[in-house]
Amino acid sequence: MRIFRFILSLVASLMLIWLLSVTHDIKGNTLPPMGAFLNPFSGFWKNAEPLKGIEFNNASLSALKGNVKVVYDDLLVPHIFADNLQDALRVQGYLTAQHRLFQMDITARKASGRLSEVLGARTFKIDRETRRKGLVFAAENDLIGWGKRPESMALLNAYAEGVNAWIDQLKPADYPIEFKLLNYKPEHWSPLKSALVTEAMAETLCSRKDDIDASNALLYFGRDTFDYLFPEWNPKQQPIIPDTGQWKDWHVLQPIPAKEATQTNTIGALFDAPGGSIPDIPEVDRYMVGSNNWALSGAKTKSGHPMLANDPHLNLTLPSIWFQVQIHTPESNSYGVSLPGTPGIVIGFNENTAWGVTNVGQDVSDFYTIKWKDAARQQYWLDSTLRTASLRMEDIVIKGQPTFRDTVRYTVWGPMPYDDEPENPLRDCALRWVALDIPEFSTLDIFMKLNSGKNYDDYRASLKGFDAPAQNFVFASRTGDIAMQVQGKFPVRGIEQGRFVQDGGVSSNEWQSFIPWDQVPSMKNPSRGFVFSANQHSTPPTYPYYFVGDFEDYRSRRLFDRLSATQSATLDTMKSFQLDNFSQKAADALPVMLNLLDKSALNQEEIKLVEVMQAWHYNYDADQLAATLFDSWCDSCYVLTWDEMDVVRKAKKPILYPDGWRWIDMMKNDNNSAFFDILDTPVRETAKDVVLQSFKRMVGYFQKNPDKKTAWGSSRPFAIKHLAMIDAFSRLDLKPGGCKSAPNAVSRANGPSWRMVVSLDDQVTAQGVFPGGQSGNPGSHWYDNMVDTWANGEYYALLFLKSPEEISDRIMAKQTFSPH
Amino acid sequence: MMKNFIFSALLIFILGNLCGFGLPWWAIAPIAAVVVWLFPQTGLSAFLAGFLGGMLLWGLHAFLLNSANEGVFSAKIGQIFQGLSSNNLLLTTALMGGVLAGLGALTGQWANDLRANTEPKDYYTRRKKGRYK
Repeated sequence: MRIFRFILSLVASLMLIWLLSVTHDIKGNTLPPMGAFLNPFSGFWKNAEPLKGIEFNNASLSALKGNVKVVYDDLLVPHIFADNLQDALRVQGYLTAQHRLFQMDITARKASGRLSEVLGARTFKIDRETRRKGLVFAAENDLIGWGKRPESMALLNAYAEGVNAWIDQLKPADYPIEFKLLNYKPEHWSPLKSALVTEAMAETLCSRKDDIDASNALLYFGRDTFDYLFPEWNPKQQPIIPDTGQWKDWHVLQPIPAKEATQTNTIGALFDAPGGSIPDIPEVDRYMVGSNNWALSGAKTKSGHPMLANDPHLNLTLPSIWFQVQIHTPESNSYGVSLPGTPGIVIGFNENTAWGVTNVGQDVSDFYTIKWKDAARQQYWLDSTLRTASLRMEDIVIKGQPTFRDTVRYTVWGPMPYDDEPENPLRDCALRWVALDIPEFSTLDIFMKLNSGKNYDDYRASLKGFDAPAQNFVFASRTGDIAMQVQGKFPVRGIEQGRFVQDGGVSSNEWQSFIPWDQVPSMKNPSRGFVFSANQHSTPPTYPYYFVGDFEDYRSRRLFDRLSATQSATLDTMKSFQLDNFSQKAADALPVMLNLLDKSALNQEEIKLVEVMQAWHYNYDADQLAATLFDSWCDSCYVLTWDEMDVVRKAKKPILYPDGWRWIDMMKNDNNSAFFDILDTPVRETAKDVVLQSFKRMVGYFQKNPDKKTAWGSSRPFAIKHLAMIDAFSRLDLKPGGCKSAPNAVSRANGPSWRMVVSLDDQVTAQGVFPGGQSGNPGSHWYDNMVDTWANGEYYALLFLKSPEEISDRIMAKQTFSPH
Repeated sequence: MMKNFIFSALLIFILGNLCGFGLPWWAIAPIAAVVVWLFPQTGLSAFLAGFLGGMLLWGLHAFLLNSANEGVFSAKIGQIFQGLSSNNLLLTTALMGGVLAGLGALTGQWANDLRANTEPKDYYTRRKKGRYK
């Protein structure tokens, strides 16, 4: 009897402990082991940081050469003071890991195709695609290139060791909450992971694949119509580097003319859609990733000193993509935002200069068709010889399932990303992408030189060798210089080479050479008093090298107008430009559409809507109903115009859509074009009919969805999502203004990820904000403390310290790292 | 008897803090078992001592962390768990600590009873036994 009840209670205890130790699947979600998660000693409660006051213990780090002092300000920005760069970066690694470990881990995992190891089968497809694109191959190549300079590798190693020093002293109780929720352990950092983070950025910024859509459009419409619909140059554009006669005497590298370089499609039939499906509604104005930067010369500012601004538009996430840091060494003192996982500062300023970046739209990834010898797909034809593909094995570890071994074929062009998908149009295409090349210079060295640069010459020299993702580097110095350089590794292309899928059986279709470093577009101290970029065309068509890609058409024109007009600018002026919700697209399109609209066909209520739009000043402010109306009308008008594409789309073939500016131009100057005919009707429509019908559609839409007929801010969805898509850790409550075609390019999940304005006075002063916080811990006050400031269009003064002893009421905590 | 109850509840609470110094979270169960083994009492009293000590231990720690954080984080975690409120999350935590330690203590007491081949000392069990004889 007693033995039974003893056994009973023992078993009950063990059962309870077991139940609390294993994961449970509820409605498709895996819950973490509840005992480990709920207990207050190592569970989630430990991640609930005190909201007020924060302390950091002094620590010793092995391999430090001297003491490193860290000062935290009230935004939780660490200011690192070290005797040498290596120590500084070691501590930067340590501190970044301390605040952003999960972000670093998941970014490196995503870029290396290792998400499934911790997330299971649901991320398998993503992992496989990542590896097939060669991202790991690219990161390995980075290390080969960077490894040529041991000094630079030593810095990269110091950063990784700093990260690992933080990880090694972690107890499970200290793991970031995401590790507890997903039930896995952080693993060591390495220089390869830093390279992977860089490559992940390259993938975001320069891996566009319009080749198929363009090839299909050319084949479907024929040459003349294609040229009519898809002109490469928008005459209204203000290029980043205007023609001032600077390149007329150049000795220009010529592409070797290849007969088949512009061959569109060796199959002679339209390519199918990847995966056999395309979205129901075409994306209107597909341009997504963008940014603004500019610099004003002293002639245009109130202080008489240059000023610089930068706001990179990226996916808005929590934790934020950026981490602010100040790095002070005897050689330099710089402040700005870093990319967690890579050492140094990407966008920022020092005591003498400031710099920033926007993305270059130039196409640097091409597809080449491969002609296999036979179904074994081992050997392929190049000119008239057989080549053998090299095989790279990718072992994809999947939690709860056997490891998947994938074979990726590499040709002379590059990897075959889709040859595992028989239905994919790119199945027989190899990818030629600059990001996969072995770099000549180390990205780290380039940014280190930029971080410590003292003047224009240093800036200019530092950019040499920066290859991918190509960036428009803006620059300003205290000595009064401003400059812009479109820096990247750009192939010298034949006309239209790379615009379409190319024949990979002809070796002369290869990129023959790259634009020499001294001939990439750049300029210094233009007489107009400013330099700027907003992802528009790098140069006008007179630039001696052929450019193809995806370029922005509206923000740049607006910024050009404002920068041209401004005089006696202050930092507040600069901020107002970054926060400008004026849409050049609306300003171009709405008058044309209103002019074409037959008002006699409208009822009283509809006329009222017209009046709302007529009174509008094209600002996508959060409180504007007109923006909601116009946006809906414009999109449905665009889609209705291009019903010609529906035939192709219904056959599941992807096709390129004309740029918005071209369409607006057609409504204005060619409103009788056959493209305005709606194919489904027996009558022959013109732009007038399309405008009216789409207006009625817009009215109908809002009648059906009256809750959407509100001011712009509340009518559209906007979210800053947590990296693991956990809603509770996301911000879904904001209703900001702005839109893609306005300088304040806030769209659904994308927008200004860091706003920075710098005045290069006798003392450099700067303001900045990003939609997040310094801490990656959702249980911390500093997780999202800057979000509302950002959403309200406000900035923080950035605390730029001269020494760790400097006194400021904004200093919150201090910490010293000493050698072991 | 009452003395042993109070002693053991207190000891379980105090020794349970070792979980904050590297012992696994479930250590509260064996700790409670050992404590009750040292301070014998009735089964019910043992369970209650464990429950009280464990509940206080888990509840108090969670409460202090939650207060310093002003409930911000527990509200977010509660959202993940089907909209559980901060207070309910605290309660769940405290109950879990209580049940764990309670069951551990009960096991310890009933193990204790194995070695002592005597009648149960307390009135309740004796009466119950008598009733079912």
